[in-house]
This record gives sequence, C-alpha cells and structure tokens, in this order.
Amino acid sequence: MINFIQFTFTRAFLAFITLLLVCFIVFSLMELVPGTCAERYLAFKNTQGSSITVEDIRAEEKRLGLDKPFLYRYGKWVSNIIFKGDFGDSCILRMNINELLSGRFLLSLAIAITALLFSYIIAIPVGIISATTRYKSIDTTLKFISYLGIALPNFLVALCIMLFMTVYFGDTMTGLFSKDYETAPWSYNKFMDFLSRAWLPIFVLGWNATAFALQTVRALMLDENDKLYVMAAKARGITGMSLLWRYPAKHSLGPVINSIGFDLNRIFSALPIVALILILTEAGALLIEALARSNDQQLAGAIIFLLTATIVFVNFVTDVILAIIDPRIRKGVMGGG
Amino acid sequence: MEVSNKKKEAYYTATQMQLVRTRFFGNRSAMIAGSILLFMIICSLFADFLSPYDPTIAGRDKEYENGAPQIPMFWDENGFSARPFLHTLTKYRGADTNFRWVYKLDTEKRRYVYFFVKGWEYKVFDFNINLPGKILDFKIPGFTFNTHLFGVDKGGIHLFGTDKAGKDLFSRTLNAIYISLAVGTLGVIISFVLSLIIGGISGYYGGWVDSLLQMFTDAIRTVPPIPLFMCLAAFAPLEWSSELRFFFISCLLGLISWPTLARRVRTHLLSERSQEYILAAKLCGASSTHIIVRHLLPSFTSYIIVDLVISFPYMLLSETALSFIGLGLREPVNSLGVLLQNATKADVLLNYQWYFIPVFFLVVLILTFVYVGDGLRDAADPHKVK
Repeated sequence: MINFIQFTFTRAFLAFITLLLVCFIVFSLMELVPGTCAERYLAFKNTQGSSITVEDIRAEEKRLGLDKPFLYRYGKWVSNIIFKGDFGDSCILRMNINELLSGRFLLSLAIAITALLFSYIIAIPVGIISATTRYKSIDTTLKFISYLGIALPNFLVALCIMLFMTVYFGDTMTGLFSKDYETAPWSYNKFMDFLSRAWLPIFVLGWNATAFALQTVRALMLDENDKLYVMAAKARGITGMSLLWRYPAKHSLGPVINSIGFDLNRIFSALPIVALILILTEAGALLIEALARSNDQQLAGAIIFLLTATIVFVNFVTDVILAIIDPRIRKGVMGGG
Repeated sequence: MEVSNKKKEAYYTATQMQLVRTRFFGNRSAMIAGSILLFMIICSLFADFLSPYDPTIAGRDKEYENGAPQIPMFWDENGFSARPFLHTLTKYRGADTNFRWVYKLDTEKRRYVYFFVKGWEYKVFDFNINLPGKILDFKIPGFTFNTHLFGVDKGGIHLFGTDKAGKDLFSRTLNAIYISLAVGTLGVIISFVLSLIIGGISGYYGGWVDSLLQMFTDAIRTVPPIPLFMCLAAFAPLEWSSELRFFFISCLLGLISWPTLARRVRTHLLSERSQEYILAAKLCGASSTHIIVRHLLPSFTSYIIVDLVISFPYMLLSETALSFIGLGLREPVNSLGVLLQNATKADVLLNYQWYFIPVFFLVVLILTFVYVGDGLRDAADPHKVK
C-alpha cells in the first residue's frame, strides 16, 4: 500500500512537471507573437480617435507588468493559473478569460468525452471480432473501414453531413442549441435540445477516434491471441465467448486504457476545426477565432493550456487505474504484491 | 525436394532487405495500394506536362467559369470517331434565361482532342528559393517546355470542370497533389532529422540525458497537435510570399511531428545497445560515432523507413487541416487543403458538385499511404515469418 501511494505521488509529480513544461512552451509561443498586449490595447484606442504616443505605450506596459523579465512573467502566469485558477484578461476582447471560457470549456469537455465513450463502445467489440473472426472478408472490410476513418478527415465528414442536411432537410444542424435556447439558462428542455444537436459533433469526432481505437484493439488482440496460454485454455476445452473474455480480451484491454489519453489528444486536436464548421459555441471554435481572426494570445494560451491539462490529468488517472487493475503492472509498482 | 532445398537456402541467405521486399510483394492489398500511390506520385511529378492549362490564375478560361466537367467522347448521334472529341459550348444570355449566363451545347460542332500539343510554358528543373536574406536565395534556371499531353484545337478542355475564376480543376488537382506531397516530404525530412538527433542522443547515452529528453518529448506529445500547429502558423504574417509560407508550413509540420518518431528511435536504440555485437564493437575499440553510423543505424533503417511512410499521411492531413481553416497555404498556391476550402460553400453541393473531385484524390492518397505503410510494417517485422 505504501508503495502504491508512493507510486501515485511520483506520477502526480511527473504530471505536474509535464504541465509546467507545457506551460512554458505555450507561454513562450504567446510571447513570440509580434506585438504586445499594450500595443494592441492602445492601437484599439487609437482607432477610437485619441492619439497615442510612445510614452503611453510604455506606461501601459508598466501597468500590465510587461516591462518585467520573461521568466518573472512566466512564473506569475503559471502561479496565477495553478493557485488562483485565474487566466488573466484577454487583451483583444478585454474581458476576463475565466468568464469567457468556463461554460464553453465544459461543453467541449462533454462533447469530447462522449465522443471518446462512443468510440470505445464501438471499437472494443468490433476490434475483437475483427481480430478473431474466421472469415477473412469481415476482417478485411473492417480494416478498410478503420483506414477510411483515418483517410476521411473529420472536418470533411462534418462538412459533408452538414451540406447534405442543408440540401435535403433545409436545416443546417449546426450550432449546439436551437435559437430559442441559445441564451436560456440550463433546464431539462435545453438539455434535450442540446442532445438533439450534439449527436452530430459527437458522431463526427467519434468517427476518427473509433478508427484509431479499432486498430489498437485489433493489434493487441492479435498479439495476445497467438500466445501459449490461450492455446492451453483451448486445449482444456474452453471455447467461444468465455475463452475470449477470460483470456486474451482481458489481457489485451489493459493497454487500451493506456491509450485513452492519446485518443483524447486526437479528439481535442480535431475539435477546433469540426467546431468551426459546425459553428459550435465552445472552446475549440474560440481557439481558432483567437488565432486566425483576432490573434488573441492570452485566450489561445489559456485554451491550449486547458486542453493539455485535461490530457495530462487523464494520463495520470489511467496510469493509476492501470496499476490497480493490471496485475503485471501492479507487481512492478508494489514489488511482489 | 531439390526445389524446396533451394528455396530454403535462398531464404536463409537472403539479406534483410530481400526478405522485406519478398514479404511486401506478397501482400496483395499493399501492392495494389502501392501501384495506385506510385501512379499518383508520377502523375504529380509530371503535373505540368499532363495539365492542359496553367493551374494559376494565368491559365483561367474566361469563357467557362464554374463550368461542369467535360468528358471527351468517341461517338454521338452523328456517328463514331476514332479521335475523341468534345461538343462546342457557347456562352449565352438572354431574356429567356433571366439574363444569367448559361452554356448552350452545340452537338453539331465537334472539337477534337489532340495529343502532344503546344500550350502554356512550364519549367523543368527550375529551383528558385527566395527566403529572407540574400545569402539564402539561389536560382537554377532549368529548361522551358510547352508540350502537353493533350488539348483541343478551339476552346477549352476541362476534365474536372472549372472553378469560379475559370481555373481548370484538373490542372489544379494535379498541381495540388504535387504541392501537398512536397510539403509533406519536406516536413518528413525535417522531423526525421530532428527525431534521429534527439532520439539518437536519448537512446544511445541513456541515463539522465534520456530521462530529461524523454520528459521534454512527452510534454510536447501531450499538447494536441493541431491547436499547436494553429498557434505556430498564426505567426506567419499575411504579407509573406507564397514560397516563404510553403517553407514555413513544412518546417512546422516537421517541428511538431518529431516526438513520435524520436520515441521509436530511442526505444530501438535502447534495446539494440545491449546486444552482443555492439559490445564486440566496443571491445574492439570502436568510437561512438563509428558504432552509431556503422552498426546501430543500419540495424533499424527498415523501421525508420516504415515509420516515415506511416507518418506521411498525418503530414498531409495536418497540412490539409491548416490550409482548410486558412492558416496554412493560401491561394494562389494550390494544395489539397486549399482546394478543399473551395468546396465548403453550400451552393457548391447544390450547383457545382465537381468541386469535390480533389477531395476524392485526397482520400485516395491518404488511404493508399496508410495501406502501404501498414504493408511495410508487416513486411519489416521479423517476428511475422510465415
């Protein structure tokens, strides 16, 4: 037990370090964008009619703390996020990023995680069938479909479905809520409305994730299936489903848990573009807006940080879960136990 | 008996590469995909020769904007012709069409397709790199040609139709495949060099160097790649020339995608490092460089090639995604992503379905790459001996 706690703490510490590193990368990127917040802010004022001098810019920089060295600002940014959960203000939209993001990020998270669940629910049984079927044609077809999942980028699928809907049903199906509920507070009706629209992004995102998960499951199953212990079980007369679930499937699904983090990474990676096409009002679409339209570094940095933090957290949780349920890893962690 | 012995002997004396080749050639789906892929690559390399029109705005057909694909035919109601021909289209606008331009088909007037015709000029072996800074510029003039595979005597031939500026989609698609492959290749080369250096150092030296580099690699791997791409691509100022943009995007693709490959190189080196033949070389007094270059690198060349092929479709997809949202390549450069972006409007699906033809090529290109990569992986895996 002591070993297990030690393991958990080491993992948590490593995750924390990774997060700091990621913060550093993201923050450096934000700093590299030409033009500081002060210049932007004053450039905006300039368009409003008041004239701006160099002194004004310096004074504004001082007010925003931009005259401090890079590392100091990095430290401040990180500590604000970690200890206060405060991402600061967006200097383009001039409002607090927390307010802007909180609801939207939860929506993104909900969509991404549902897509992930959807993909695993399909991929695990289908992957097992694909790996163990006696009919080669089923395997070939499933393989083709899973490759198609890679070759058809999900923004393309989203686009096609959307255009199809527009042409044949006259409704674009875009957005997460219909007009009546867009600004309404959360209620049962709003939730149902959300569900009736969210299936499209969930399907689109899940489509690629399923393809990848299918390949992982299939490869792992194929590896396990040839092993001697499976043959021994067969020799003892265990067949069919009981053989599958008790022996190879049980063992090959451990690494699948490990791949959740990377699958989530893929979904997050695809989310912004899908969101842009389907006009979803969540964090991914905001990210593109921040990068492509308004060049809003603070907002973009905050979103990338949140996405990555989620992945780091999921990786940490799956590591711990795997250590609990997989006896091979448990042995490594707890030494003999 | 004789034959099987010979076979066995051939099997045991075959080199690693020969084995891989035999196994790959035996894989039917990978071979089919490989042939299609090879065909597409060759077509894209000879894109200028194959395309009847200049893929840029210079090659636009003012008489045929948003035009439907024109398929050459061999017969119509007036009889059969050994030389393929097209019917003549005339642009027409009048009170009966509500003063909108429509194309009238005149089936009486045939326009014949000729081969090896003279057309727009293109250059072969022409390198012109124009990066910021005078030293980096260099120019090789190359040769100028103007022969094309096919063309018609009067008017235009547009196999895939034209876009709203009248640019020939067939020529654009070929050019776009070429550009997308070029971006991908450059990206793969950059990521290859980076991963070889970083993964190599990490795997060969091990210890704390390894831990530190792995931590860095893992940190980069956890960031979702496309948002990171977008973040970096947003740096490119709008006023950059298209060549510079092209170069920049390729570099980004390379810079983002090295971690996966670097990890593979490292894992392989770590397992290979403790093999007896490395120990033997060390005992003989070989230097680190010698061991890396002469022993370690050849031991996993096949793996590296496989990984490069596997990573290629992701490069293409990333480029497409970036260009699609307007952060990657832009017009006037053709790339599959740029062409895809043109197909995003609702009226395209209603009226101009041929805008989707390049999408089909993108899907086929990626699909064949995935199949070939998969076939190569199976072929290079020594544990999968049949």
